[in-house]
Amino acid sequence: MRKVIHVDMDAFYASVEQRDRPELRGRPVAVGGDPDGRGVVAAASYEARRFGIRSAMPCARARRLCPDLVFVRPDFSKYSAVSKQIHAVFHEVTELVEPLALDEAYLDVTENRLEEPLAGKLAKHLKARIREETQLVASAGVGPNKLVAKLASALQKPDGLVIIPPERVDAFLLPLPVRKLWGVGPKTAERLEGMGIRTVSDVRDLTPEHLEHILGSFGPFLYELAHGRDDRKVSPHRARKSRGAERTLDRDLSDLQDVLRLVDHLAHGVGEDLARIEQPGRTVVLKIRYSDFTTVTRSRTLASPTTDAARIAAAARELVADTEAGRRPVRLVGVTMSNLVEEGAPLQLELELPG
Amino acid sequence: MELTIRVPELVRALQRVQGIVEKKTTMPILANALIKSKGKDKITVSATDLEIGLTGDYDATVVKSGAMTLGAKALYDIVRSLPEDVVTLKQGANQWVEISCGKVKYRVVGMSADSFPTLPSFEQVPFFALEPRIFKEMIEKTLYAVSTDETRYNLTGVYCEQVQGSPGLRMVATDGHRLSVIERPTQEPPAMKEGVIIPRKGLVELRKLLEEGKEGGRLGFIENSAVFEKDGITLTMRLVDGRFPDYQQVIPTTSTRRVRVNKDRLSAALKRTSLLSPDKAQGVRLDIASGTMALTANNPDLGEAREELEVEYDNEALKIGFNFRYLMDVLAVLGEEQVELELTDELSPGVIRGVGGEGYRAVIMPMRI
Repeated sequence: MRKVIHVDMDAFYASVEQRDRPELRGRPVAVGGDPDGRGVVAAASYEARRFGIRSAMPCARARRLCPDLVFVRPDFSKYSAVSKQIHAVFHEVTELVEPLALDEAYLDVTENRLEEPLAGKLAKHLKARIREETQLVASAGVGPNKLVAKLASALQKPDGLVIIPPERVDAFLLPLPVRKLWGVGPKTAERLEGMGIRTVSDVRDLTPEHLEHILGSFGPFLYELAHGRDDRKVSPHRARKSRGAERTLDRDLSDLQDVLRLVDHLAHGVGEDLARIEQPGRTVVLKIRYSDFTTVTRSRTLASPTTDAARIAAAARELVADTEAGRRPVRLVGVTMSNLVEEGAPLQLELELPG
Repeated sequence: MELTIRVPELVRALQRVQGIVEKKTTMPILANALIKSKGKDKITVSATDLEIGLTGDYDATVVKSGAMTLGAKALYDIVRSLPEDVVTLKQGANQWVEISCGKVKYRVVGMSADSFPTLPSFEQVPFFALEPRIFKEMIEKTLYAVSTDETRYNLTGVYCEQVQGSPGLRMVATDGHRLSVIERPTQEPPAMKEGVIIPRKGLVELRKLLEEGKEGGRLGFIENSAVFEKDGITLTMRLVDGRFPDYQQVIPTTSTRRVRVNKDRLSAALKRTSLLSPDKAQGVRLDIASGTMALTANNPDLGEAREELEVEYDNEALKIGFNFRYLMDVLAVLGEEQVELELTDELSPGVIRGVGGEGYRAVIMPMRI
């Protein structure tokens, strides 16, 4: 039986801001976009969550829910630095770390560097080490696989630690709403609930064939998950496929020059990102969403992988010419680099040509 | 229009324009060659892709003056397979042209000469003479490093500038990973105020023209064009409209680790170790220590190769990776027996030059392996 720990930082971005800016402590804080525009909340402090504020909620709505909400613009370079510290702590325990986001990872501790057989003890140790290194609070879940570990970490947030040994998996899973299972999004949940399938226990009453009939190829997989079986590996080399940035505008852009300026700005951010993670990319993807929400993407593959912001920007600008930007109002612009050189793969360095 | 011309003369004319005409173009006329009478005993044959244009005079007997255009590729294929020494081209109605040679007859359809774009022509170009052998060397030693990436427009040609002091020309090319710079004396100072970027395709054609015969040619820069003339032929190239980066900044000047090695031995060793890198895009690791250099290549799908070479080196050991192709491209254009690698560390640009050869340096960024 494997032992998997899922570690999830509590209100990560907001907590980092509260740590670094004492005047924010104890106050409802939302990290995210401009409340006067169309930005969304990227993270809400626990004080803010009490007002019903959640991530991905439009900032304007969050402010209506909590007029005293303090809005903070995100500083991703800072979060990424903290994330590095946290991952260093993970690696003290095991090499088998699969990052899910800056603030979240799975660890397979079946074998571990501390030679500690009790995964619960390790999870406690990890939480303490993270607090020591970053003064931040994490929740952890322990289970025989990723599914259970992740469900467990969410159970007692913040500062939670929930251990589900194999013999308690059934008791833990059966009463859970079906939408908690991995892969069950709002659409699938709605569909199942419409058929009276509300809990994991309800799913168990069905056969894999029946589930396949309802959900297609995901059906049999859901059957396995509902039985607490999940053999997905904790894979440290989850290859990063792309890196990008997009911006929803406060006001629609009708002027082509404004769109191009924003493309330049985004391209530079993406280039810096790629340089930092040392993974040049080869394909530039431009995304434009018009004011009526129709969205187009255009892409171009370069002769060689690059992290050079000027090259990324030049290609992205050319792609803009292939859209209706300037003739139709634009509400969102995105620049993404895909086809990244694999992490640690041989890397051709670039001459530092000025200009 | 009607003309009679010797087949080898027409073949020569059409061969010269093959590299210029556009195969995939939205303007069909650009796939054609323009044939125009010039007096009673000459014709001009021209082609252009709107960026570069080539026009040349050829001996012919003009029976009836005029102009016509025909698909350059098809006409070249027809003419070079003709059985006799003389061919007649006769224009009929609706752009049909009859090609007859002995018992062979073709009827091919052309396009109106009126729709052929006007080639730029310049008066009083400030020309300077080119020694063909030297200029060809300069092109060969830079062309391989030109960028093929259209998003780096200002790197898609070779930068040419006047050498300060003694009369001379300097040519520089880079694709962002490597750079080559060569300077050579000229008989007279190149007449240019500032540096220009000659497009890659133009230089490819120019090199072909230099390879024909021994006569020299002359080059001049005017407005936004470069003009090359030789032997009744004029090649005009629209210059790349961009600013070439300040390349001097990336040429290392203080490399302390200098490795001397026999060029042919290094070439052969690279060729052998690169067999494990079928596309030559992977890296070779050089382990350099006192008196020896080991080349190793690793391919996760194929295996490993290692070869040791004797070198002249007496300094701290150094490991550095390079792209196979970048090293091989440089060695292929070097004429000297010994080459010198000037290295700093595994992350800084390296310089390769021929020992005893002056005025040429190739800079290559390493690969992090």
